[in-house]
Amino acid sequence: MNYLLSYLIIAEIYALAAMSTNLLIGVTGIFSIAQGAIFGIGAYIVALSTLSDTLPFPLAMLLAMLLCSLVNVAMALPSLRISGDYFVVTSLGMQFVLTAAFTNLPGITGGASGLAGVPPPVLFGVELDDSQSFIPLATLALFAGMACYWVVMRSPFGLLINAIREDELAVSAAGKNVLMTKVGVAALSGVYVGVAGGLYSTFLSFIDPSSCDISASFLLLTMFVVGGARTLAGCLIGPALLMALPQALAVMPIPSSAAGPLRQIIYGALLITFMLFRPQGIAGQKL
Amino acid sequence: MLFLQLLVDGLVSGCAMGVVAVTFTVIYTTTQVFHIGHGAIYTLGGYVVWYLTEQGAPFVLALPVAIAICAAAGALIQQQLYNRLMQRNATPLVLLIGSLGAALVLENTLAAVFSPNILNIVTSWGNQTISLAGVRLSLAQVALLVSGPVLFGGMVAWANYTALGKRTRAVAANEFLAEITRLEPRRVHVVVLAITSGVVAIPGALIALDHGMHPYTGTLVLLTATIAMISGGLGNLVGAFVAAVILSVVQTVSTIVMPGQWSIAATFGLFVVLMIFKPTGLFVRSTA
Repeated sequence: MNYLLSYLIIAEIYALAAMSTNLLIGVTGIFSIAQGAIFGIGAYIVALSTLSDTLPFPLAMLLAMLLCSLVNVAMALPSLRISGDYFVVTSLGMQFVLTAAFTNLPGITGGASGLAGVPPPVLFGVELDDSQSFIPLATLALFAGMACYWVVMRSPFGLLINAIREDELAVSAAGKNVLMTKVGVAALSGVYVGVAGGLYSTFLSFIDPSSCDISASFLLLTMFVVGGARTLAGCLIGPALLMALPQALAVMPIPSSAAGPLRQIIYGALLITFMLFRPQGIAGQKL
Repeated sequence: MLFLQLLVDGLVSGCAMGVVAVTFTVIYTTTQVFHIGHGAIYTLGGYVVWYLTEQGAPFVLALPVAIAICAAAGALIQQQLYNRLMQRNATPLVLLIGSLGAALVLENTLAAVFSPNILNIVTSWGNQTISLAGVRLSLAQVALLVSGPVLFGGMVAWANYTALGKRTRAVAANEFLAEITRLEPRRVHVVVLAITSGVVAIPGALIALDHGMHPYTGTLVLLTATIAMISGGLGNLVGAFVAAVILSVVQTVSTIVMPGQWSIAATFGLFVVLMIFKPTGLFVRSTA
């Protein structure tokens, strides 16, 4: 029971991250390889501020949302001015720099061994210290995120970002500011993944660089691809399936040293297979 | 003296990085695919040589085999993945995701087969050093210093003076026109991937000979190479090579003032500053 609950919570957290990835890649067409690192910023900010008792959990989450959003904007502003492919390079660079920061600042981030004993979230005087008490929070966050996603997609801003993906030139010819809209998407996407990161480190009460390195970015990307572009159903299906994969692999007779690379091979194979035969993913729209 | 040694070390790795940047630029300008798998091909070159030398083959025999295997792998990725996607009018985004998938499969297959640890190629001569004006160079480094400019010059000469190179540039300049004048862009793409992948195996193997390798080096190399491509002025082969050498020198020399694990931050910082103030790159010329 507890096992199933914690699987659900992790899947819900990653569904929020999948919405973030979907906003960037699926809706707007900005390819980012730094999603794992931004997730890490959220996770570390919440972990650090609640560990040191400087901020209560809700304020720490707000700070995480703000900072993740800012980092995404800082990445998007210089590179998107020029071309979409530049964002690939910028985000890849950002991923490496942030991984280096998480790993090589032992005084702050705990270095390679990470931060343990992150206190559970406290809301209205209630300590959410096990799966049963945490799942309402994760579910609430997920529903709020989904509602927000649904509203944004149908708002004038949502229509505009969809239009930018379809025909950027036409949108700018119509007098809309394409760059600022894309920067807006990057900011919103940062908020989503920041929430996911913050929930992740408080639920597991632990965060280390391996949860937010480049392979985490690949995992988030694969969730998005498998689930499908732009739809809410896709944002739920991708994380639900891929979070079950490590469990499925654990029952197979594979030496533990090969398990990590094998998982990555499966992600890569999934990316190739979906791009070749079903680029829209299981429940998505045309990519 | 330390500075001089680091400067030379930077030049050596710059020669390798330059070849990666130049080959990546040729692929990017010709096929329009942001070929993330190129970094994994570079790593594959080192692993093939490592495997063959472990079986007792001499380095000079192992290297041509590695070149052939990398060329075949590159051509296979183009033919079986990119060409198929292009036939279905895939968007650049779909190609990019497919490319990332290929890189992931290749890198992690290396990790699963050869272990994710650092491996060293053992030869009788690779670690012998020579001293020049107080600077120590291993023979592997000398080979890099010589092969880098030679391969770079070869790529430029190939693009400018051979029939195939001219055909490649024609495809790069206007794929539609190339299609209707029967230059067969799809086949040119496969040949380009084969040539560039074969070429990149050489610095891949030599760098591995000099200071070892692990399966995931390719991504970091690719990052530096793409930064060099953009900084050098997109599509400019000379610019890409020069920028790669400058970046490698900065990366190596910066270890005097800060720990090595931050050198990627230095390179990346330079890149962001450059993008803000001179987004077209350092050496802009309209020769693709």
